[in-house]
Amino acid sequence: MSDTEQKRARKCISCGINISGTAAARFACPVCGQEICRCAKCRKQSNLYECPDCGFTGP
Amino acid sequence: MSDNEEGLEEADSEIDEVPADAGEAPADDEPVAETDDTDESDAEATDAEAEADEQPAVLDEDVMPDDEADLLIPVEDYLAAGAHIGTQQKTKSMERFIHRVRTDGLYVLDISQTDDRIRTAASFLANYDPEQILVASSRQYGRFPAEKFADAVGARARTGRFIPGTLTNPDYDGYIEPDVVVVTDPIGDSQAVKEAITVGIPVIAMCDSNNTTSNVDLVVPTNNKGRKALSVVYWLLANETLDRRGAEPGYALEDFETEL
Repeated sequence: MSDTEQKRARKCISCGINISGTAAARFACPVCGQEICRCAKCRKQSNLYECPDCGFTGP
Repeated sequence: MSDNEEGLEEADSEIDEVPADAGEAPADDEPVAETDDTDESDAEATDAEAEADEQPAVLDEDVMPDDEADLLIPVEDYLAAGAHIGTQQKTKSMERFIHRVRTDGLYVLDISQTDDRIRTAASFLANYDPEQILVASSRQYGRFPAEKFADAVGARARTGRFIPGTLTNPDYDGYIEPDVVVVTDPIGDSQAVKEAITVGIPVIAMCDSNNTTSNVDLVVPTNNKGRKALSVVYWLLANETLDRRGAEPGYALEDFETEL
């Protein structure tokens, strides 16, 4: 994985903030398997996320 | 006859047939509460509404926008289990899964979205090692289906009281480190959700119309209070998960039904 891809992977998919701490979640998109990262705040506030590859909208 | 009038008649007949909890059942003219947040008292108050799933199915009910949707089981089976019946409260986060409101104030969940999310959750769970899946259910009617689901897919189940520290305290004998958590009700299983957040693992939750989706990563919108509804949803989830893994789904709905 290139540096750019690694940096993108560490960003919250909803708000774009750099992820730190353990309360964030990293999981594969339920539809296409693309990795999705959600920060603690977006999880708590139930902010919608959209998979950049398949367009799946969660939670 | 309009849909509303038809719904009123159906609702009246259903309420007449409630035997034991009739005293707790909400009156027809009770105003519909719309809240942005709920607590445990709300969940208890709406238990009576969930008893609707024990009543005869209304097979011609309007439960999804597209009548031609391809579902896992016939729509009549979903209706017979009452999987579409929500509560008299709704939250903003569950608004997008609600199809309509009945004249008796009960919100009706969009069955096509329920079906779609069961498939999505199954394909999500199929990515994980079976032993790394944890199923939690503190709700009485969810215990047996949750245990049966865990048995079917090879997952681990924690039913009844979720002992604090199960996911966070390595000194506790029952300490486990799952990779994903499935909960029956984010309100009743709040301890499991809280610990999943602490350790940073994804949470799949069966959410009714009165649940908030806070700290949930994948929502399965369904009636999470009814006996038959929970049986159907766990049964479908188990069969779909096994199917995605390439295994033979050999369970019948009766295997997942809680004894009365």
